Amino acid sequence: MSEISGYEANQFATVSTYFQLDDNWKMRTGKGVSVAIIDSGIDVSHPDLNGKVIESVEARVDDRKVLFDPSESGDSTGHGTACAGIISRIAPDTEFYSIKVLGAGNVGNSQAFLYGLDYAIKHRYRLINLSLGTTKSNYFNELHDLLDRAYRAGCIVVAAANNLPQPSFPSVFSSSLISVSKSTETDPFNFGFRYGEIIELTAPGVNVRTAWLNRSYKSLTGNSFACPNIVGIIALLLEANPTLTPFQVKSALYALAKENQAEKENENKI
Amino acid sequence: MSEINKQNLERKLQSLIETVDVANSLTEPMTKSIENLLKISAKAMNSEEASVIIRDGDDGDLRFLSAIGKVADKLINLQIPAGKGIAGFVFSSGQPMAITDVGEEESFYAEVDKKTGYSTQTILATPLNYNGEIIGVLEYVNRLGEPPFEAFTPDEMDNATLYADAIASLVNAYEFAKIFRDLGSKLFDVSDPMEFSDVREWLNTQRDSTEHREMIELAVLLRDISSRGEAERKLCREVLEAILNYAKIKEEGSFLNFDLV
Repeated sequence: MSEISGYEANQFATVSTYFQLDDNWKMRTGKGVSVAIIDSGIDVSHPDLNGKVIESVEARVDDRKVLFDPSESGDSTGHGTACAGIISRIAPDTEFYSIKVLGAGNVGNSQAFLYGLDYAIKHRYRLINLSLGTTKSNYFNELHDLLDRAYRAGCIVVAAANNLPQPSFPSVFSSSLISVSKSTETDPFNFGFRYGEIIELTAPGVNVRTAWLNRSYKSLTGNSFACPNIVGIIALLLEANPTLTPFQVKSALYALAKENQAEKENENKI
Repeated sequence: MSEINKQNLERKLQSLIETVDVANSLTEPMTKSIENLLKISAKAMNSEEASVIIRDGDDGDLRFLSAIGKVADKLINLQIPAGKGIAGFVFSSGQPMAITDVGEEESFYAEVDKKTGYSTQTILATPLNYNGEIIGVLEYVNRLGEPPFEAFTPDEMDNATLYADAIASLVNAYEFAKIFRDLGSKLFDVSDPMEFSDVREWLNTQRDSTEHREMIELAVLLRDISSRGEAERKLCREVLEAILNYAKIKEEGSFLNFDLV
């Protein structure tokens, strides 16, 4: 998809064009910002995450309903721990809430995923990391409704794009969430914004070093790991500006990415 | 054993062997093709080991169907519990992932490595997707040459998807044949595993028989119906069960008639 024509008229827009942003947001630590990780659980014993996971729950089916119980089963794959680890490196004082929907008993993945998102919205976690999605179009309506509810509740949902050449939900929704795909960039602050594309944000997602199971570290590649880089950035913005709405956050990311782009262009000229 | 019972057993045995033979005639070329494609793709991906992991039951458990490399023999049929490890994640999320060990730390693929004695240092895992359904996982492990191994790149991740599409079609066909074989075993209700080498030899002479071709055609027809949706599968099953019941009644009737004569 090409860029929307006329958007270049805003090329000189800065963050202050949209609202007054605390200049020191990059120095923040994400203190007081709640982040839900809807994934495979989090290994709370990892040194990078020790004491930072406030609550862990996991999906359970009871009479066709999906319920969430306190979880002590940790992370079954390492994926959720990896996502939390990436956020924690950018925003070390973030409070994590682990919602385990993958590898949780006999719950169907898509079903658990939807209920997990519902759980996070009901608890009004400020940020929701969705390094998961579904390609099944029969969940379109329910997911769309959930994302609209999140938007109205002020929950900022950040979703990873599909790594495969087909749409996945909810990452292809445009208005009510922030979608991210991977770039080869290594600095999380140097994220990009592709206005007019289906997946607007780009962030480091190639060989990202982060926490893994058994207190280890791995280098990971995938859109899953670009998503938490943006979550970490938003956590800093939210600490500095606690009342930001999802719309304002997206505007801020757009303006900051334009500044990043301008800086890069200047560096290239020099 | 009476003469009638002997004949009855022989007939059942022959029916079973025909079913098994049909299934093998479908699965053997497919597992061979999967292995060949694995070899070709692993070379293109500059990878030392490659494997195809498929569903093992309905609860998300997985097992290695095919593998190439140093520990291929140890991997085949090795099971991975639901949701465990990289394969478990890729299978349940439907998303590919590339992972590399950092430094001298413990291998991340501990359980499988423990069983094979192999050291996984870098891995690319991508889902096997057939008609929108995740039916398994394709993995490339380590690189050709000596460690340290370079991580798999995003371009290689895209290329692996192309191989995964081709392998997924073969795996789907393999799974269908396996279901057909299992169904055959159930229908003929023979629980004792037996050595069928004599009968197999005889069956080899029957490969080009009309009956054999008809059974394969029936298998293809079943696959086509099954792929059309849940309602079609249900209808097909009901019709097949009705035919089977009819056949059983007829069989019992003819047995009685035979006995009385």
